[in-house]
Amino acid sequence: MRNINFGYGISRPRAIDIDNNDLRKSNAIIAEMPELQACIGCGSCTASCTAGNLTEFNFRRLHTAVRRGEYKGAYEDINKCMLCGKCRLVCPRGINTRALIMLIKRKLGDF
Amino acid sequence: MTFFAPFTIPFIIGTIFLFAAVATKFVLWLVRLPRVDKRLIRHNLFTWHTLAAVWEVVRESLLHVRIFKVNPVLGFMHASLAFGWFLLIVVGWIETVAYLGAQWVPLQGHVFFKYFMPINGITHHEPLFEQLMDALLLVVLTGVALAWMKRLRSRFMGMRRTTKHILFDRVALSALWFIFPARLIAESLTAALYGGEGFLTGSLGHALAETVPHDLLVMFYEPSWWVYSSLLGIFFVAMPFSRYMHILAEIPLIFLRHWKLHPTAERKSYDRFEVEACSRCGICIDPCQLQSELGINDVQSVYFLRDRRYNMLNLKVANNCLMCGRCEAKCPVGINLNTLRLNSRAKRRNIPYEGRYKYLRGLDRSSGEGRVGYFAGCMTSLTPATQHSMEQIFKAVGEDVWFADRDGGVCCGRPLMLTGETDAARKMVAYNTDLFRRHNITTLVTSCPICLRVFREHYRLDGIEVLHHSEYIDRLITEGRLSVAADARRYTYHDPCELGRGCGIYDAPRRVIAAVGEVVEPKHSRRDALCCGSSLANTVIDDSQQLRLGERMTAELEATGCDTIVTSCPLCMKAINRAARCSVEDISEVVAKNILRS
Ligand code: SF4
Ligand code: SF4
Ligand code: SF4
Ligand code: SF4
Repeated sequence: MRNINFGYGISRPRAIDIDNNDLRKSNAIIAEMPELQACIGCGSCTASCTAGNLTEFNFRRLHTAVRRGEYKGAYEDINKCMLCGKCRLVCPRGINTRALIMLIKRKLGDF
Repeated sequence: MTFFAPFTIPFIIGTIFLFAAVATKFVLWLVRLPRVDKRLIRHNLFTWHTLAAVWEVVRESLLHVRIFKVNPVLGFMHASLAFGWFLLIVVGWIETVAYLGAQWVPLQGHVFFKYFMPINGITHHEPLFEQLMDALLLVVLTGVALAWMKRLRSRFMGMRRTTKHILFDRVALSALWFIFPARLIAESLTAALYGGEGFLTGSLGHALAETVPHDLLVMFYEPSWWVYSSLLGIFFVAMPFSRYMHILAEIPLIFLRHWKLHPTAERKSYDRFEVEACSRCGICIDPCQLQSELGINDVQSVYFLRDRRYNMLNLKVANNCLMCGRCEAKCPVGINLNTLRLNSRAKRRNIPYEGRYKYLRGLDRSSGEGRVGYFAGCMTSLTPATQHSMEQIFKAVGEDVWFADRDGGVCCGRPLMLTGETDAARKMVAYNTDLFRRHNITTLVTSCPICLRVFREHYRLDGIEVLHHSEYIDRLITEGRLSVAADARRYTYHDPCELGRGCGIYDAPRRVIAAVGEVVEPKHSRRDALCCGSSLANTVIDDSQQLRLGERMTAELEATGCDTIVTSCPLCMKAINRAARCSVEDISEVVAKNILRS
C-alpha cells in the first residue's frame, strides 16, 4: 500500500510549524498577486505541466509551499519550468500562473 | 552687406546647439554598434542599397507617403509641415541667390532674408519668389492649423486617441505651433513698412499699413523678428530631446535599414535610432485592443518607446503587451516594435543561470521513424483533437512520421524569449535542434504558430524545411496526395497573430478551407486580424481581461454567420472556444473529417 502514489499528496508527512516560518516573502508575493488565494489546489497545473512530465517538478506543491513560507529549494526547482503556459490554460481559477512563476523567481532569487 | 542683427542670436545659438547635440548622438550610436553591424555598413555602403535609401528618405521623411496610406488627413498634416518647411528653406535659399547672385550669405541671412532686404537697401521685388514663399508659408500654416485641431479634437483626424506628451515635447510643440504664425506677423510687418508683393504677407502688410498707425508698426517691427528668432531657437534646443528628434533620426535609420541592419533579441545602439525615430504620431494607439477593449492607456507602443527613451520604463509597461503586432503593422515609420519590446524585457529579466535545465541532457521521448518530423508543441497537447487529426492525415497519405513530442517534449523556447529569458531559451533551442538533427528529418511540421516562428527565426535548421501544418496540408492537397470532400458548411477563418503578421502565412490556410467549404471573412482579417487575447507575451492582464478580449473577437467572427470557426493555433482555439456559441475547429480537424478514402 505504502508504495502506491495516487498523486494527491503535496509533501511527505512531516510536522510543520507555520508560526516559525518567515512569511515576509510569501506575504509580498500574495500582496502582489492576490489571485493566488483563489487556488483550490486542484493540481491541474501539475498534471498538465511540460516540465513536470519530464522531471519531479511539481508546480502545485511548489506554489503551495512558497505560500506557506517554505522556500527551501523552491528557487532551484522553479527554474525547471519552461514558462510554456499550459498551466495557465488549464487552471480552473484562471490564475495567471506564468506571472506567478516570474514573481516567485523575482522574490526568491533573481534581480 | 551686413547679415547680422542682435535678434538673430537666439536662432544662431539654437542652430549650433542642435547640430552639436544631434551629431554627438549619431556618432555615439554608430561607434557603439556591434562589429557585425559595422561590417554590414561597410559592405553595403557603395551599392545600390544606398540609392534606394535616398529615395525612401524623400518619400518618407519629406512626403510621409506611409502616413498618407494609414490616415490621409494626418498624412497631409505631416507632409505640409515637413515638406512645406523643407521647401521654405530651399526656395528661401534660391530666393537670396535670385536677389544677390551667387555670393556667400550666412545662414541667418537666408532665414531672415525679408528682414535683411530693407536694411541692405534692396527695394526691388522678385514677385515670383515672393508669391512662392507666401504659398509655401500658407501650406505650412495649414499644417499647423491641422495640428492645433488634432490636439483639440483627435477624432477630427480620424483617430480615437492622440498621444499624451511629456514636458519636453510640450515646450517644443508650443514653439513649433507659433514659429510660423510669428513668421507671418514679422514678414507682414516688414511688408507694411517697406512694401512687399506676396499675396499673403504683402496683402496683410498693406492692410496693416492702412489701419495701424505708423509709430505702432515701427514699435512692433523689431520685437516681432525677435519673437520669430527666439521661437526657432527654443525649438532647436528642445528638438534633440523631444519627439521632433524623429525628423532627424529617421534619416540615418532609413540608410541603416537599407544596409540590412535590424534590431535583435539583445539590445544594441541601433535600437536608439528606432526608438528616437518614433514621431509619437499615436497611430499605434487605435489598433491596440488593450486600449479599445480594456481601456489600458499607458502601455501602447508610443508610450513604451517614450518610456524607454527617457529611461523610465517599468516592468509592468514592458510586460503589458500581447505582441500581437497590430500596431507594428500600422506604424508609418516601420519601427520593429515587437523586437524592441522583447529586448527591453530581456534587459530586465535575463539572468543567466548555468545549472538550469540540466535535466534535458540525454532526454529523448520521441517515437516513430521517418523523414518528416511532427512537433505538436506544448499547447497542442491541450487540444488533442488537433494532434489526432494530424495523425489521421499522416496515415491517409502514408507518410512516415517521426513524432518529436507525442509522449512529452521540450518547449520550443519562445515563451521564455517572450518573457525576456533569452539565455534560458537558448538551452531549449540547442536541445531541440540537436534532437531534430539526430533523427535526420528533412521536413519539420508543427501545429503551433508560436513554435513555427521561433523555428524559423531563431533555430539554425539548414537542410530541414519547417512548415506549419496548414502549409503542409495545403501542399498535400495541391500535390494531389490528399483528396478531401467538399461540404456545404460556411467557415470563418481566424488568423493567429504569430502565423499571420508573425510569419506572413495567410493564403495556405484559406486554400485548405476552400477545398472543404466556403470561407467567409470577418471584419478584421489577414494583416488586420484581431488578437485572441491569450497571447503568451502578456503576463500582466488577468483572466477576466483575457476573456473579454476573446469574447469581443469571437463575436466578430460569429457575426459572419458562419457554421464553424476555424483557426490554426491551439492557443487561439482555446480562447475562441471559451467564448464561442458555434463550433470551433482546428484546420486539421476540418480536413481530417473530410478525407476521401480511395
Ligand atoms: S490549476 Fe490553478 S487552482 Fe489548480 S492547483 Fe494549479 S493554480 Fe491552483
Ligand atoms: S509554464 Fe511552467 S509550470 Fe506551467 S505548465 Fe509550463 S513548465 Fe509547467
Ligand atoms: S510607434 Fe510608430 S505608430 Fe506609434 S507613435 Fe511611434 S511612429 Fe507613430
Ligand atoms: S503589439 Fe498589440 S498589444 Fe502590444 S501595443 Fe501593439 S497593438 Fe497593443
